[in-house]
Amino acid sequence: MTGTSTGTRLQVFSMPDVGEGLTEAEVLGWRVAVGDSVTVNQILVEIETAKAAVELPSPFAGRVHALLVEPGVTVEVGTPIISVDTDPGAGDLTDSAPAAASSETATAPATGSTDGEGSGTTTNGEGAKIGEVTADGRIATLVGYVSAGASTARRPRRGNGRPADVAAAAPQHSVVHPAPASAAVPADHAPLATPPVRKLAKDLGVDLAAVTATRQDGVISRADVENSVAAKGSTASPGRGRAYDPATREHRVPVKGIRKATAAAMVASAFSAPHVTEFLTVDVTPMMELRDRLRRRPEFADLKIGPLVFAARAVCLAARRTPEINSVYEVGPEPGADVIVVKQYVNLGIAAATPRGLVVPVIQDADRLDLAGLAAALRDLAATAREGHTSPAQMSGGTFTITNVGVFGVDTGTPIINPGEAAILALGSVKDAPWVVDGELAVRKVCQLSLSFDHRVVDGQQGSQFLADVGALLADPGLAIAF
Amino acid sequence: MAPITTTLAKALNTGLRSAMEDDPKVIVMGEDVGRLGGVFRVTDGLQKDFGDNRVLDTPLAESGIIGTAVGLAMRGYRPVTEIQFDGFVFPGFDQIISQVAKITYRTQGAWSMPMVIRIPFGGGIGAVEHHAESPESFFCHIGGLRVVACSNPQDAYDMLRAAIACEDPVVFFEPKRRYWEKGTLDPELNSAASGERPPRCFSSVLRRPGTDVTVVSYGPSMPVLMAAADAAAIEGRSLEIIDLRTLSPLDLDPVVESVRRTGRMVVVSEAPLESSITSNIAARVTEEAFYSLAAPVVRVAGFDTPYPPSRLEDEYLPDLDKVLDAVDRVMAW
Amino acid sequence: MAGPPVQPSDPYLPTTAGEAAARGAAGLRGRPTPSEVIAGLRATSHGEDLIQLLSPEGTLTPNDDFPIEVTVDLLRGLYRDMVLVRRFDREGNALQRQGQLSIWVPLLGQEAAQIGAGRAMRPADMAFPSYREHGVAWCRGVDPTQLLGIFRGTDQCGWDPKATRFNSYTIVIGNQVLNATGYAMGQRFDGVIGSAPGSEDAVTSDEATIAFFGDGATSQGDVHEGMVFAAAFDAPIVFYCQNNQWAISEPVAKQSRVPLWERSTGYGFPGVRVDGNDVLACLAVTRWALEECRSGNGPVMIEAFTYRMDAHTTSDDPTRYRMAAEEEHWKLLDPIQRVKVHLSRQGLADQDFFEQVAGEADELAARFRAHCIGMPKPPPERIFANVYTEPHHQLEQQLAGHLEYLAGFAEQDGGR
Repeated sequence: MTGTSTGTRLQVFSMPDVGEGLTEAEVLGWRVAVGDSVTVNQILVEIETAKAAVELPSPFAGRVHALLVEPGVTVEVGTPIISVDTDPGAGDLTDSAPAAASSETATAPATGSTDGEGSGTTTNGEGAKIGEVTADGRIATLVGYVSAGASTARRPRRGNGRPADVAAAAPQHSVVHPAPASAAVPADHAPLATPPVRKLAKDLGVDLAAVTATRQDGVISRADVENSVAAKGSTASPGRGRAYDPATREHRVPVKGIRKATAAAMVASAFSAPHVTEFLTVDVTPMMELRDRLRRRPEFADLKIGPLVFAARAVCLAARRTPEINSVYEVGPEPGADVIVVKQYVNLGIAAATPRGLVVPVIQDADRLDLAGLAAALRDLAATAREGHTSPAQMSGGTFTITNVGVFGVDTGTPIINPGEAAILALGSVKDAPWVVDGELAVRKVCQLSLSFDHRVVDGQQGSQFLADVGALLADPGLAIAF
Repeated sequence: MAPITTTLAKALNTGLRSAMEDDPKVIVMGEDVGRLGGVFRVTDGLQKDFGDNRVLDTPLAESGIIGTAVGLAMRGYRPVTEIQFDGFVFPGFDQIISQVAKITYRTQGAWSMPMVIRIPFGGGIGAVEHHAESPESFFCHIGGLRVVACSNPQDAYDMLRAAIACEDPVVFFEPKRRYWEKGTLDPELNSAASGERPPRCFSSVLRRPGTDVTVVSYGPSMPVLMAAADAAAIEGRSLEIIDLRTLSPLDLDPVVESVRRTGRMVVVSEAPLESSITSNIAARVTEEAFYSLAAPVVRVAGFDTPYPPSRLEDEYLPDLDKVLDAVDRVMAW
Repeated sequence: MAGPPVQPSDPYLPTTAGEAAARGAAGLRGRPTPSEVIAGLRATSHGEDLIQLLSPEGTLTPNDDFPIEVTVDLLRGLYRDMVLVRRFDREGNALQRQGQLSIWVPLLGQEAAQIGAGRAMRPADMAFPSYREHGVAWCRGVDPTQLLGIFRGTDQCGWDPKATRFNSYTIVIGNQVLNATGYAMGQRFDGVIGSAPGSEDAVTSDEATIAFFGDGATSQGDVHEGMVFAAAFDAPIVFYCQNNQWAISEPVAKQSRVPLWERSTGYGFPGVRVDGNDVLACLAVTRWALEECRSGNGPVMIEAFTYRMDAHTTSDDPTRYRMAAEEEHWKLLDPIQRVKVHLSRQGLADQDFFEQVAGEADELAARFRAHCIGMPKPPPERIFANVYTEPHHQLEQQLAGHLEYLAGFAEQDGGR
């Protein structure tokens, strides 16, 4: 509120906003002179506002000390215009500064909320003052003032002021009910989680009801869901959500979880890497004979060794000679920044069919494992996958994948490279087949290998060489001593 | 009086009669409420028994009805006004918003406004324009009023008596297409609670327990929800049905508690969707039960058009199929 | 004219217009007769002349239709009322110009219209003002400082309307007229009108209501509906229209083709035009009107013909739409001046009296000013207080939430 100040002898009256949207006014003429005695409400001055003259009455009684604005001068609202000595009988005034024209202890008028006309039809013509901003930032309306609006600096809050501190940061007009304080969520309550965590659980096929929350308030976090996948596994079944419609004789299966992830991976791979597939048919009779001999050795006592173990070992050995097969093409952030990352370690992914779908658990540093080590790793990996407990960590970081289509009795195929890798080997079933040995027909154990590779990374020569090496090792395992 | 089977309109009549017998300051006023007994017969027989000083046939002027009721309330009466149809409340809207809602606040309690504004509302009766509106959110959007909606004869009786006894002004919505539906009325059932404040019946109530989805509404949509719950049960879905009854203030504690169990919610109303009570409820429940929600709160409402010609109202009104479609959607998240 | 025979009240039987008019009054204890009522309608509906008892020059001329005993005390009391009311009205204007009030609604020029009506009321009568009736407030025992909160923005009604029988100010034009009609209907239902003449009840317990509104308000639907309802229910209400010639910038000619007092005839009850600057005429006519209502002959309309000497409010600028000459003309009709002249000329008051009243006015103004400047801003809880009479959990929560929010600021009471 402009205008007056209290508490000191020398009082200053500043140009008020007289309700017509003044930002400024012209002093037309003084009705008093320096030294005049004035009473409260005596007219001091006439000011011009919106083409009408308004007389300003004195808020003080006393003696006029100084006229601070010349007639004809236009000043902003809030500018001191006159000072009055309110106790003229008390001797000379010292040269103290007049009391500042600050806000009253009493409060400013309310904003715009008062009274008056229902339908304001007063116009102010040209040079309209309604709607203009006054010196102290208020905007005049017909019946009051709109306050200046938000201050530009925030009032400091207590504590660390983080909005996450629930109660203190409650929205002004409501009381937020935070999640229940106790860790134990009542049995009949739905699980507590945010939408992103719910989505994660759905994608991973996790039932939130089976997840244990680590948070005090029982709210399930992302980590809780991931740990649950590792520890407990999901109870999702492929039949969940399958709705059979007898009218169309169709099942409509929503694409979710692993199916969705698999589909996405296949598309990403198939339509970014130019796939070439080469085939090699191998007589693995010596490998099978070796397998029979190895089985009887103590280190293979509890291990199952089959063509897949040998293939895994062969791949690791062959990769030494053709390291390009164990790499990946990385598209750079801008054109011309693409790189091929050649890895000096082999993380061997083994494609596995599980109740939940296709999963590719990875044997980390497979090239450092010997045959028994690989066999053990394969065994563990298979067991975990079968139970559906393979964790996301266990499926990450692969550099090469083997897909054992042979277990289904299938000869060969054109496998799709696992995204993040440059090649994949499909291992067919080992079958008796006619073969030429020393120029004569014989019945041998034969299997087909097919290698798909990313032709951005691997040329035909490299792919062929790798495939030939793998085949050679499977055909004549003794060659491994030369790798 | 033993429990009886009666219609919603007659239950209101019984409530008015009892209230007028108990308190000589209760008066009924509106167009055609006296000799005719009201266009829906809700005030049938009252003028004959209580006289035309207590049951007033007013001139045809909604602002006049509400405005003079304000003065009568100041004088110590407890006026129960009737607005003949929802669409005709608007001439009285100024008095309701500018005076009825504000007088207690303006005078800081020197005046109280113990008056009731009864309004038949909602569609589904094949009527012409202005006779099938759902204007309840206009009255919820201002402090100073209480707004309630009954859905069955027992509540009609209890809630009207509570509204009349309430010291605050109550906008009392009656689902006109349910006026002739029958139910049980036991006037003694809640009489012991009549002194409670706020009135016990101005609260949300569980109509049917369930486990899959919480479905919430009020007034004329309640029978639709109950039928939808039966149909859903056949499909293997369990719906929990809640009747809000009080629209301002809302009683959302039972709703939130239900959502904590089901994790999913559908809220239903005939009123147009935008800026509706259903939208407000969705926002509040989401804020209060965020961690419990497996899906956003889905609203089933009328379109943001004027109420259509009555031949089309079947398309407009939330019916069983629309409710179950919303349930499907909320389950699919 | 001999009236039709009185019949038992039955609102649904066919009737003549005269019978309907008669029935309205005759329904209550059989008095007065229909012919008297109709004669009354004619007698009190003045055409060309205003009812005037005290001319602008201070000459007193009795009027047989509106007899009034004019004593020295009455005159001096009315003079004092008007001087004091004008004084604090001017102080309110000044306070606004000094930034202490957002707005002030001036009654300058309408002192007689308001004091005359206000002093005609009995304690049990009820008044429904618009927002300018500070003079009527004065008569009802509302202290002028109690008016300040509305204009300072600290409250919306600073007095108890029930105790003072003076309703809160109503900003929406015309709303109060309907509320007043309803209140008067309640008086009728309570049976506090129409007691036998001269009986104790007639003096002690009969009541009436008076609704104040301006010329602009007569265009509002609520005023029309108020008159409709008042006529339909024979409500004991005086419709007191202060025609101050202007509704902000719109002259009364924009509101009506006919003089405003004539409108009541259309609803079936009498209207009277009185010189709104003549406090004696206003007093006499309003007394008559209130008595008519108390005795069951209501409703009645009074048009107090006066002038709004100042702007509509302090935010208005009348130089934009009216001529200074008009204001000069009305200065010559000043309500206080004519009483002062009469008192002086008749030797009913001396200079000491006038100075004493002036001194009292100055003291009142000083007290008014000091009170205004000292009014504090209410605490935040006030926002939530008394929205409802009964407990309201949602508002309680909202208040609690807001207080919690405020408590979260590092500096309490800072920055505001």
